[in-house]
Amino acid sequence: MASRGGGNSNSPNSVSSPDVRPSSPLPATNSSPAQSGRSGGRRRRRGSASPYPSSPSLGGFETPPPPGRRTPSGAATSRQRQNWTGRFPPTPSTPMSTDDVPPSSEAGDEDTPETDGGGVDADAAPVFVWGTNISVQDVNAAILRFLRHFRDPRDAGRVDPVMDEGKYMRAIHRILELEGGESLDVDAHDLFDHDPDLYGKMVRYPLEVLAIFDIVLMDLVARIEPLFEKHIQTRIYNLKSSVCLRNLNPSDIEKMVSIKGMIIRCSSVIPELKEAVFRCLVCGFYSEPVMVDRGRVTEPHICQKEQCKATNSMTLVHNRCRFADKQIIKLQETPDEIPEGGTPHTVSVLMHDKLVDAGKPGDRVEITGIYRAMTIRIGPTQRTVKSIFKTYIDCLHIKKTDKSRLHIEDSMGTDNPDANKTAEDVSLGDKVEKLKELSKLPDIYDRLTRSLAPNIWELDDVKRGLLCQLFGGNPLRLPSGANFRGDINILLVGDPGTSKSQLLQYMHKLSPRGIYTSGRGSSAVGLTAYVAKDPETGETVLESGALVLSDKGVCCIDEFDKMSDNARSMLHEVMEQQTVSIAKAGIIASLNARTSVLACANPTESRYNPRLSVIDNIHLAPTLLSRFDLIYLILDKADEQTDRRLAKHIVSLHFENPNIEEIEALDLPTLVAYISYARKYIQPRLSDEAAEELTRGYVEMRKRGNNPGSRKKVITATARQIESLIRLSEALARMRFSEVVEVRDVVEAFRLLEVAMQQSATDHATGTIDMDLIMTGVSASERLRRDNLVAATRNLVMEKMQLGGASVRMIELLEELRKQSSMEIHLHDLRSALGTLMTEGAVVIHGDSVKRV
Amino acid sequence: MVGPQYDLVGNPLGAVRATFERAAEAAAAESGGREPVAAFRGKDWGANEVFRSFLFEQGGLDKVPVLDASNLGLIKPNTLVRFRGMVQDMLGNEYYVGAFKDGSTWRTNKFSDFSPFSIPHPCDSHLWERHLFHCVPVPGQNSWTRESSPGPDVCTMSICLTPEQREKRKRGADNDAMDVSENGNVEASSSSKKPKDDDAHNSNSSPEVSMNKEHIPEMNGVDHHIPGSSFSCLVKVYDMPESQVKLNDVAEFIGVYTFDPELAAPTDNSDDIMFDLIEDVTAQLPPSKVPRLHCLVRRKLSAHDFLSKPPTAEPSPILLKSIRQSLLSHLTLVLGKDELAAQCLLLHLLSRLLNKVDVVTVGRLSLNFTGFNRESASIFGNQINNLIQRLLPYSQAIPLSIEYLNTATLQPRKDNKSGRLITGVLQLPQGTHLTFDETLLQSGSLTSKGVENTMLLKNLMESQMVEYDFEYYKLEMATDIQLLTLSEGKSNILLSDLIVPFRPSCVPGVNASAEELESWRWYLATVRSLPQSTESETYQVTIPCTTLSTNAVMYLMGTYLMSCAMFVPHYR
Repeated sequence: MASRGGGNSNSPNSVSSPDVRPSSPLPATNSSPAQSGRSGGRRRRRGSASPYPSSPSLGGFETPPPPGRRTPSGAATSRQRQNWTGRFPPTPSTPMSTDDVPPSSEAGDEDTPETDGGGVDADAAPVFVWGTNISVQDVNAAILRFLRHFRDPRDAGRVDPVMDEGKYMRAIHRILELEGGESLDVDAHDLFDHDPDLYGKMVRYPLEVLAIFDIVLMDLVARIEPLFEKHIQTRIYNLKSSVCLRNLNPSDIEKMVSIKGMIIRCSSVIPELKEAVFRCLVCGFYSEPVMVDRGRVTEPHICQKEQCKATNSMTLVHNRCRFADKQIIKLQETPDEIPEGGTPHTVSVLMHDKLVDAGKPGDRVEITGIYRAMTIRIGPTQRTVKSIFKTYIDCLHIKKTDKSRLHIEDSMGTDNPDANKTAEDVSLGDKVEKLKELSKLPDIYDRLTRSLAPNIWELDDVKRGLLCQLFGGNPLRLPSGANFRGDINILLVGDPGTSKSQLLQYMHKLSPRGIYTSGRGSSAVGLTAYVAKDPETGETVLESGALVLSDKGVCCIDEFDKMSDNARSMLHEVMEQQTVSIAKAGIIASLNARTSVLACANPTESRYNPRLSVIDNIHLAPTLLSRFDLIYLILDKADEQTDRRLAKHIVSLHFENPNIEEIEALDLPTLVAYISYARKYIQPRLSDEAAEELTRGYVEMRKRGNNPGSRKKVITATARQIESLIRLSEALARMRFSEVVEVRDVVEAFRLLEVAMQQSATDHATGTIDMDLIMTGVSASERLRRDNLVAATRNLVMEKMQLGGASVRMIELLEELRKQSSMEIHLHDLRSALGTLMTEGAVVIHGDSVKRV
Repeated sequence: MVGPQYDLVGNPLGAVRATFERAAEAAAAESGGREPVAAFRGKDWGANEVFRSFLFEQGGLDKVPVLDASNLGLIKPNTLVRFRGMVQDMLGNEYYVGAFKDGSTWRTNKFSDFSPFSIPHPCDSHLWERHLFHCVPVPGQNSWTRESSPGPDVCTMSICLTPEQREKRKRGADNDAMDVSENGNVEASSSSKKPKDDDAHNSNSSPEVSMNKEHIPEMNGVDHHIPGSSFSCLVKVYDMPESQVKLNDVAEFIGVYTFDPELAAPTDNSDDIMFDLIEDVTAQLPPSKVPRLHCLVRRKLSAHDFLSKPPTAEPSPILLKSIRQSLLSHLTLVLGKDELAAQCLLLHLLSRLLNKVDVVTVGRLSLNFTGFNRESASIFGNQINNLIQRLLPYSQAIPLSIEYLNTATLQPRKDNKSGRLITGVLQLPQGTHLTFDETLLQSGSLTSKGVENTMLLKNLMESQMVEYDFEYYKLEMATDIQLLTLSEGKSNILLSDLIVPFRPSCVPGVNASAEELESWRWYLATVRSLPQSTESETYQVTIPCTTLSTNAVMYLMGTYLMSCAMFVPHYR
């Protein structure tokens, strides 16, 4: 970078003595030989007919032997001094017509190389860049070799007409053809593979080596296409090792580093003056463009026109100056790199030209650049420099990385001409291999179950259901437009303290786009979508709610029972149609909400009342309830065996080092990767046998309620259940990375449904599975009983009471009824029976008394 | 080594430099003149030892004044001070010229902001790094902890600025003529900013008031929630692996107090746009308000360090038992002769976070006393608060009202503009005790901020985690906070582990003697820090409990802890 800056500084007026900068107490040392190299090259070029150098005179700069007392770190410091005022790599310069002036780059420079004529006689003795172990010729040759001859090993198999050229030669050709690119991206891995020594030098002395790199590149380009106008910059990326932001330390200064982080702040684009043009106020003469040197422009004191020669008459003409873009961004450590109990570190990064606005705040990026330090000036007018340094990174290359949870990188399988994903591909390939190996294990299903919330005790069947939810079924879209959702909805109903919330939290952690809400705190619009008017523009905008935001994820709703009815009713559409429709304030929209809902609720009376039906316990609308594929009742029954084991489990957490039984479980990242891979790449289809089994099982389930002995006909399963079963078996197949749903999946799906249903749909009156209970809230036998009661009451009323006669107290009626029937009758039963009669118009109820009309 | 030669309190830098020069000479002789000081990067060359032995072995600690808001303007720069505080924010690293060659001798800048010698040639210098921490007095620190280690009275000491010197400072400021860098003599002729002088003068009369007035709005730009904590300190720590200091650690820093008028100069070079972003956060902490402390010796403070009497060697079971009994009886009296509540409160005070497994926190015991109304809350609540204040090093009482929830800033938030972590009420050191008075809560609507705040509290209650807002993501910080809730009925906002109906039978009116308090503090600190191991007997005790408890998981934790905490004093 420095050299690029330096390359521009060889115009006559840019000569600035250190005295001009009062804040620096130091002699402005300059150690950039490349700079002079460039100038040498340019000089020769100017002499030739071609506007570009045909051969750069790299051998030209002889640097005086380093003074003995100078140390590399000293050199580094001196370079910092020189750089500190914000001398930034300017845009590639167009050649200046400064032929008549010797391009001595610096005044007062102790190591100004011999710029003149140096290129002609390249010394036989190796010339080292001052303060380093870089031999210019060697590096030059090495870079040339690399650019010319590097061949991508992965291209080896390919037969390609341009294969005789190396990878980077092709890249250069491409740049020339397109004329668009102004930079050549160089993969540092390639460089390392080709020439580890050169790589080492580049990392160690990036300023010098990159300068030579640029010169070599320009030379190469000039030979291929002498008329190519633009300057091509070398952008190195993908260093062998990337440093953690936290571990940057003084020894990294002036070295090439690669760090990952998150952009937290961007400055606005700062136009940086590159060339200034002055006009004489007296005669109107325009001066030659004046280059910016180390952040300063020297205004010519005297008008250069022979006839004028007025002093102090020059003024800056903004329109004719040339500016380059500059931007400063703040990079912060990503959350995963922050040690416990620490706060993230930040570093400033300087971006130039093309890199400006390459990243926005919030982006995760990997930056390759040169770590720099600069002294702090105390005030603009003061000479003193504090002993403290500020650090920043001169950015060479920025790459966006996006690794949010559960997203396996997308580059899989796609043919990406950009070779910059090599390493990732390899590691990804390994990962996928590992996952596939895992999936082949015979006990993968149990293993996954164990890995899910290992700290939550037992509840294995619930965990299996949740696992199915994570894997999900296949959504089906028929050509007719009908949609069948693939997402599995689960409701957990249970006594307090049965770790429902913990399960929910665990699921929230695992799911790709989990949204966690609590029923109490959610309103209908908060869950679905909300139309707001922008206060400034007056436009109506849609703001997504939790369900829409968790599209393709899991929406965890805690305290489902405490949610307002209004909010709950919004869920109907979401849970079956998987969309949210909005029709208000001029916006009619349908938003996707392909989300799995995982809700948990307490029974109405906080604890499950076994006497009441499930519906009464849950107190949810049957319409909503039927949309849950699995409803788990987690009951807290006192049972000594279970209690003992539970207590042991919890107590074991309290041990000094809680060795969660070292079961063969998958760790969280693996589990996440496993699930995401399965969701993405495995689309199981039903096999014939499985379809057969499904049909058979379904018929079986329907038949079960049809006991030949009993009169009542109980509906055991509905068409919704068969859909649920398909989804569940697909999810189970996915767990094995199997493309085919087999019979065993279907059997397991039936078992899961059964386990859930047995708990949730047991009719306490009959003990059989009763879907009516779920669908209407009243079981078949219960309905029968109620009908009987209504009939008995009607008879009683007809018998005992006269039309329009005196009213009878309800208690009396109850007594009568109890005498008549063997059934146990409660007052509220009677009340509801009388209510039915009242709707028939047979009786009138006043408070506690009943009157026949 | 050099102990007697230098007044370590008055001129610590002299000792630092002398030891360095000697060490550098020795190193130079050994290595033959090549890079003699390179080895000193990130290492100590013996200076630390000098100070350690002076402070801890020769009893020098008592001679070192404690830096606080009241004497900020009085202490001479470049003297040794100590500061007790909580690490509120970590400001990253700073690079400085650590060692440089002055003629033929190597000199060091370590432990100082700038060099008395002009830095000669840039290549003869080494860049070293140091860590910056923004420290504030511990939020909720109770007054008894301050008495425990009083420093010498600053005004009577030689290192104090005499009135004339202060006057001189003022004149210097008026003249605005500084020629500091040349004669290198900062102390005498240092000029300072006006506010500084005002501070210095005001602090004679009413330090607290003036400091509060002046600092709160400017310094942090937020409502500082803890009264009197407007004072803060920028501590520069050397030679330390990064992970040693954690956010919210409470530590004592002993080091060199520096005040550099040049650094105090306004850095409003707005013409240079890039300074805006490259400028670091220290620019917002003007040295006149936020003193710089170059830390020589640092030690983490635990509850024990606040006790004025050194703990007896081995806690004997009998001693523990008797203290426990007296504390328990006092608690019973304070709680209006409700013995059960007293027992629970004691267990609650002894609880500490043992372990965290995924979402399960083990060892906490948050307590909810129910049955309060406004009146009884004001009587007993105050009594309880007072007692807790006198027993524990850090405690706070939070009135949980709708208004409070809607307005208070509970969540610490990173301001990426300024690069600072803006503190919130819940940024607390480990082991803080919080009392929520829920009786003040009335029905009303919460704003979005109120909802956020309640979520934070709930999260804290359930998982002992506080989410810090880092704008683009949230970072969960583990805490260990004891939470006590006083409420009318069972609190549904703050679900505690243990809910105890509070039934007092008389009005409290007891006062404990200083001696008793002393012993109770010691008891609490000691028993809390005892290692708790789960023995198989405990195990057996726990299991019968579970069959009793219907509400399996949460309640069991509470009961388990009860038995566990009871075990410790009994069995030891």
